[in-house]
Amino acid sequence: MVEKFEPRIVGFLCNWCSYAGADLAGTSKLKVPASLTPIRVMCTSRIDPVLVLTAFLRGADGVIIAGCHPGDCHYDEGNYYARRRFAVLKKVVEGLGLESDRLRLSWVSASEGQRFSDVVNEFNEKIKKLGPNPMKKKTSL
Amino acid sequence: MNDNDLYPDVLVIGAGLAGIEASLMLSKAGRKVHLVENTSYTGGTAIKFEEVFSNMECSTCMVAPKQQELLQDKNINLIMLSEIENIGGSSGNFVVKVKKKARYVDLQNCIGCNACFEPCPVSLKNEFEEGLSERKAIYVPCAGALPNVPMIDTEHCIRFKGKKCTACQEACMFDAIDFNQKDEQIELKVGAIIVATGFNIYDPKQVPQYGYGKIDNVYNAFEFERLYASNGPTEGKILIKNGKTPKSVGIIHCVGRDKKGYCSSVCCMYSLKFNHYLTSKIPEVKISEFYTDFCIPGKSHQKFYEKMKNTGTNLIRADNIEIAKKGQGIVIGYNGGNGKQNSATVDMVILAPAIIPRDNTSDLAKILGINVDDYGFFKEEDKNVSSVVSSKPGVFIVGCSQGPKNIQESVSQATAAVGKILSMS
Amino acid sequence: MDRKIGVYICECGPNISEKVDIDRVIQAVSSLNDVAVVERYKLLCSEDGKKFLVEQIKKHGITHLVVAACSPREHQQTFMEICENAGVNPYLFQLANIREQCAWITDDKDKATKKAIRLTKAAISRIRYHAPLEKKQIESNPDVLVIGGGIAGIEASLQLASPDRQVYLVEKTSSLGGMITNFEKTYPDMRPCSEILKQKMDDVDKNDNIKVFTDSEVAELLGFFGNFQVKIKTKAEEIDAVNFDVGAVVLATGSTLFDPQQISQYGYKKFDNVITSLEFEKMNLSGRITLKNGKNPKSVGIIHCVGRDKKGYCSEVCCMYSIKFVRYLKDKLSDVKVSNFYSDLCVPGKSHQQFYEKTQGKNINFIRAESIEITKKGDQLSIKYQDEKGSKNNQVVDMVILSPALEPSSDSSVLSEFTGISQGDGGFFEEEHEKLGPVTTSTEGVYIAGCSQGPKNIPDTIIQAEAVAGKILSSLIPGKKIEPEVKVSHISESFCIGCKTCLDVCSYGCITFNETKKVSVVNEVICRGCGNCVAACPSGAASLKHFTFNQIYQEVKEAVK
Repeated sequence: MVEKFEPRIVGFLCNWCSYAGADLAGTSKLKVPASLTPIRVMCTSRIDPVLVLTAFLRGADGVIIAGCHPGDCHYDEGNYYARRRFAVLKKVVEGLGLESDRLRLSWVSASEGQRFSDVVNEFNEKIKKLGPNPMKKKTSL
Repeated sequence: MNDNDLYPDVLVIGAGLAGIEASLMLSKAGRKVHLVENTSYTGGTAIKFEEVFSNMECSTCMVAPKQQELLQDKNINLIMLSEIENIGGSSGNFVVKVKKKARYVDLQNCIGCNACFEPCPVSLKNEFEEGLSERKAIYVPCAGALPNVPMIDTEHCIRFKGKKCTACQEACMFDAIDFNQKDEQIELKVGAIIVATGFNIYDPKQVPQYGYGKIDNVYNAFEFERLYASNGPTEGKILIKNGKTPKSVGIIHCVGRDKKGYCSSVCCMYSLKFNHYLTSKIPEVKISEFYTDFCIPGKSHQKFYEKMKNTGTNLIRADNIEIAKKGQGIVIGYNGGNGKQNSATVDMVILAPAIIPRDNTSDLAKILGINVDDYGFFKEEDKNVSSVVSSKPGVFIVGCSQGPKNIQESVSQATAAVGKILSMS
Repeated sequence: MDRKIGVYICECGPNISEKVDIDRVIQAVSSLNDVAVVERYKLLCSEDGKKFLVEQIKKHGITHLVVAACSPREHQQTFMEICENAGVNPYLFQLANIREQCAWITDDKDKATKKAIRLTKAAISRIRYHAPLEKKQIESNPDVLVIGGGIAGIEASLQLASPDRQVYLVEKTSSLGGMITNFEKTYPDMRPCSEILKQKMDDVDKNDNIKVFTDSEVAELLGFFGNFQVKIKTKAEEIDAVNFDVGAVVLATGSTLFDPQQISQYGYKKFDNVITSLEFEKMNLSGRITLKNGKNPKSVGIIHCVGRDKKGYCSEVCCMYSIKFVRYLKDKLSDVKVSNFYSDLCVPGKSHQQFYEKTQGKNINFIRAESIEITKKGDQLSIKYQDEKGSKNNQVVDMVILSPALEPSSDSSVLSEFTGISQGDGGFFEEEHEKLGPVTTSTEGVYIAGCSQGPKNIPDTIIQAEAVAGKILSSLIPGKKIEPEVKVSHISESFCIGCKTCLDVCSYGCITFNETKKVSVVNEVICRGCGNCVAACPSGAASLKHFTFNQIYQEVKEAVK
């Protein structure tokens, strides 16, 4: 019997915007896939590319980074750095043999509960279509 | 403490951005603050906006951290649903009597789950949402309001009109609803007072040629802000009455300017912001802005104007504006400066009205013992000495309660008032 | 240390208990060997709940507290205080959000439970790597350096100076007063500026706690918030250089006028009797408004917005002072014909429109115009323009007054280098936040006020100066130590390879490079804890307290199981 694929999605959310938006989705009782495990950081600029790669190497089916809209970063420019790192990360992820779509960067503000729900739902569907992380079988850390 | 001692605490009236900033700074300096707020929520008018000019920053992201800090600050005594009844004494020794209305919901016990709303049998127009959606008699004004604790509107709650109803109480699992709460009289002893009561907007109904309140799809600035807001009545979808997206919009500046006799300084900028709102959600929309003089002082404002100009918006210098219904649409009649009456047809009109003082300004001025100027705003004693100093020592007037201004200027004034208070002692 | 982790799961009434099978969560984590106790409770944030937690911590000797409940944005502070009350370091605490981002976002109880287990396990794994962080207390100097002796600098100095706070007011010219010493009157009340200034300058003079240095400039500025070291160079004869320490620096260096020579069609310095607004103010203050030939002008043209297109912003004050000029002219030369040429009339503020409306009358003309060109016409000047109907027109006048844009003062670039702050729009000092932080900057302890921050009028300048005072008075208190952010970055000397990448990415200038050791050093007093340097560091030398790689990695590990 084929087990239904339940993705494991790691979400890096920044304290000031996207984590607040994710909370608002909850307070507003919107539906967000339980496959997402949120990890709170103070700023998306904290997200070390190695953390993202480690997530994939350990078997994450999808990784989403969500931060403040450009211009709104609580620490002035942090999200611009996140954006740049993400652009390079996409290529590295591909180099690992993974579909680059498994890595997503989104901007979600503190008032965008609905948007958070929409973004995660859409990403979850995309990951379901892509299937499990092919590295799950290959590596053991 | 004898009568000669100065009271170190400070009263701040109004928990909008200016009041919050002043309170947080005073607390940081070690002062105890009594923050008296009229409504059931903090954040004032700024939390109605989705974004603020000139960089289109998310307003909630900007305000929420301040609201959280406020709610967690032990030095700040937040007294909501309250108004000032009486003030006696003088600078250094004010005795303030506050009338606090009961919320009927316990702030400690309530965890903000909203379970009490659904069973409430009363439904009415939500004022925060400018009447564009409904609320119950037990309600929070909008999703994300802080504190996330509802209040019971006794004007409309049937229990308070004599009927038996405990629907909300039955739905609450936390014993948070307490019908036995009573209004309170609170006495505060403070050394200084900061008045940060904010503003209202001119009612365009007073200028019938704008068609406001008569013609469908003619909105004022606050209504449009709520239409665009992601936590608003349409979750941010800009729709006209028939449920469709507008294809063309007219934005009318200076509504009520002639009547009031001053330029409200922020409307040209927020009209450009509205331009941005529209083009970001409806890229094909045709926008016309009808203005008299484009007033955009400030180092960062003109570049925003240039950006908006490049989106293909029609900037029309005009007066003699007359708005009329035409079939499904709206006709804006105007004089474009060449003496001839011209017209433009649009699906939606947004009016940018003058900033006016709050209705209770003159009453509050009497209670405070301070003067009001010719326009109804609190009067500064001498703006070349300091525009936050009122006619009474120890009472400071900040933000739009002193005169129309943008958020940056309101926050500067609030900070200046704190500076004056801290250097007083 | 014998680690004893206490795990407490909040039911939050039915909010969590009905959506998550809490017993399954308890079962899933009980067996972990350093978990000393796992309990559920109805409402942990209630007064009873808080008491319960303190008792539990003491009863079980709990060293690390994990609570699975609502969002940290809701009750992180509450539970950290409980830790402190119970004698546990508040950073040996982790809150797993199983409400907003778990119980409330799905109706599938099984999925919610599985997620709650993941989140709780993640919190437990993470907390194993938590360090007990302590608040630091840093000595600070309450004194203030104010650079610029104009109205902003004077006002800030007067608000700040006190017996336990010295103010050093440094002015590059030979006297205080700044720009407004040149104005006869100020709009809209037409009050003499000397009245406004004199009182304030007397107050500065009498104030023993304000040390004034005229003919002086800042030669060096080192240090950080609470601990700046200043070196002043002064032209005063007896002293070479002056050194002192301060806790805060205020930049009140004002503005200058755009040079209209840059736009040849205004005829400035090409034709006689084309003068700038500042030149006109000085002429008016001297009492005699005359042309080069010594005669009074019979007609004057005032041109607004000079240089506005080039600079890209509206300088806010020029329309109002150009209207003020009409009043000056009419007061002194009652028959003079005055025409103002403007593009958009900018008169915001409650009494400004009235000022304009009352400045109307015989021989006063306000003309909306563009494409302005000044040429010579015999002894007079011809103002060529295009009116609002689009037709070309011209007016012949004796004198032309140009109202140019305001620019930041010439010292702005040097000072921005000294202080590490940027020059933003228009070259003015960049404020920390356009709305909520108009007088603070990205360098903690450096403040900006008045026209150095952006063009503005006198009342708004005074307000910003007072606002700076407010900021300093509330954050730099004599005798009180500064308590900086705890969750800051730290760079390991052993692992730092000296690449300096971190210096580039820090928005707040808190990283410096130690040239001797060839390593980067974070100033923990001013670090804001964003973690950008940590992600940028190629050698892993940088780490962010309470958000270390290991801590976050533990969460990632549990998230993918």
